[in-house]
Amino acid sequence: MDGVDIEGLLRRLAPQVLGAVVRRYGHFDLAEDATQEALVAAVAQWPGDGVPDDPRAWLIRVASRRLTDLLRSDQARQRREDTVAAWTLPEERLAAPADQPPSDSDDTLVLLFLCCHPALSPASQIALTLRAVGGLSTAEIARAFLVPEATMTRRISRAKQRIRDSRAPFRMPAGDERSERLAAVLHTLYLIFNEGYASTSGPYLQRTELAAEAIRLARTVHRLLPDDAEVTGLLALMLLTDARRPARTGPYGELIPMADQDRGLWDAAAIAEGVALVSEALPAGDTGPYQVQAAIAALHDEAASADETDWPQIVALYEVLLRLGDNPMVALNHAAAVGMAKGPAAGLALLEGLASDRRVAEDHRFYAVRAHLEEMAGDPVAARESYDLAARRTTNLPQQRYLHGRAARLGR
Amino acid sequence: MKYIIMLYASQQDYDLMVGNPTDRPAWDPEAVAKMHAFMEQWTGELVESGEFVDGQGLAAPAHTRRIQGGRDGAPVVTDGPYPETQEVLAGYTIVECDSFDRATEIAARVTECPSPSGEPNGSEYIDVRPLANYQSDLEI
Repeated sequence: MDGVDIEGLLRRLAPQVLGAVVRRYGHFDLAEDATQEALVAAVAQWPGDGVPDDPRAWLIRVASRRLTDLLRSDQARQRREDTVAAWTLPEERLAAPADQPPSDSDDTLVLLFLCCHPALSPASQIALTLRAVGGLSTAEIARAFLVPEATMTRRISRAKQRIRDSRAPFRMPAGDERSERLAAVLHTLYLIFNEGYASTSGPYLQRTELAAEAIRLARTVHRLLPDDAEVTGLLALMLLTDARRPARTGPYGELIPMADQDRGLWDAAAIAEGVALVSEALPAGDTGPYQVQAAIAALHDEAASADETDWPQIVALYEVLLRLGDNPMVALNHAAAVGMAKGPAAGLALLEGLASDRRVAEDHRFYAVRAHLEEMAGDPVAARESYDLAARRTTNLPQQRYLHGRAARLGR
Repeated sequence: MKYIIMLYASQQDYDLMVGNPTDRPAWDPEAVAKMHAFMEQWTGELVESGEFVDGQGLAAPAHTRRIQGGRDGAPVVTDGPYPETQEVLAGYTIVECDSFDRATEIAARVTECPSPSGEPNGSEYIDVRPLANYQSDLEI
């Protein structure tokens, strides 16, 4: 069994195993622990003993045995504490009629919906999704988010307790609830991607590949819901953004803005896949924010240079985004795009209007955009001051370095 | 036992590291990358050995807010209370290891960190302190 990617296999099987165990026995919280232990056992045994003929069945068997042990000790503890257990009722475990056996794919989706339950904070939704669906260990998740392992352990066990207390049944939500919950799932995946994409190297960082993990999970959801245009849009957005990653930093980890990136380094295959996905999603109607953002990313990715970018089209797309929701950061990006399409004066005029919005007026990005437009307008003194103001407002060291570098280019 | 290893830097040191020269020249990107690579390796070895508990770098001292109890009961908040050259906490790593000597050995390695000024992270010293523990000895 040499050459088998055991880790990849286990990560793929993790949600299927957990889904099958919860479906049979209920008790999401304990089943999740049992599944993790089965994964750990596989990592220890498979490289030496070889991968079993039916790895999924092996994992379900080991996890079920472990769950039985956990339930016994849990019941004993609960009797001691004399508390009423929030057992899952047998009818809540029944998800589908007997003549329609639930498939593994349904289970993975139901798990995602459960992990992004509205009773949980975004941080807990992210942690639980990465563990229960992504198959990452608590230690890996803790390292990815730069918190001590004990903190992450607590965060995950509290999240599971909340789900247990909410008595959420293990089944697919229906109607409006389903679309709300799907939006929460997509937002969680978006946050995981951002966390991975936005981070750069630093002396204290040792990050699991969160962006790659977010893409893997988005692919799974897209495979399960191929007709949902926002799911397609989110996957496209991730691919089109991640495609630029190789050009985003220099040899010493310094930030390189899109205009100065070597576009030959962009991942052409990821761009082609992303563009195909956007083209497939957009005509499907009901245009949502992920599709629009993906369309903007596609316009950037398809341009041979910053100057050859279709800025008027990007401006139009930002205006669509602004109509979809009041977001000051979108307004800021819109002003920057207007500056490129119609000249810096038009962009600066829009910024003026944003200066009274307290949500952006203290944000370093506001000053960075202003500095860039002032530089374009041929006002190096004002631009230099704005770059310095931006640098002073960010706590991100590589960003500060970039902003000071821009200011230095304009001379003292 | 748990120990905290503390590294120090002034606002001026931070400025140099992010390319904002003072009376001394700023670090170039290569120097920053070398320092990061060293610290990443140092942290990575502690993760591998199981001694790593937590580690964080702090944003520049200029982002500090100091809160003091006011005479009329309302707390007084001061933005950026430190002089430019005062060395203050810049980052810490908490390790769990067998002895104070082992913690000292771990901390001493940071003096090998490459830096243009010849001092680790621009600082002249590193402190190690045991974390207080509140467990009483087992009575047998």
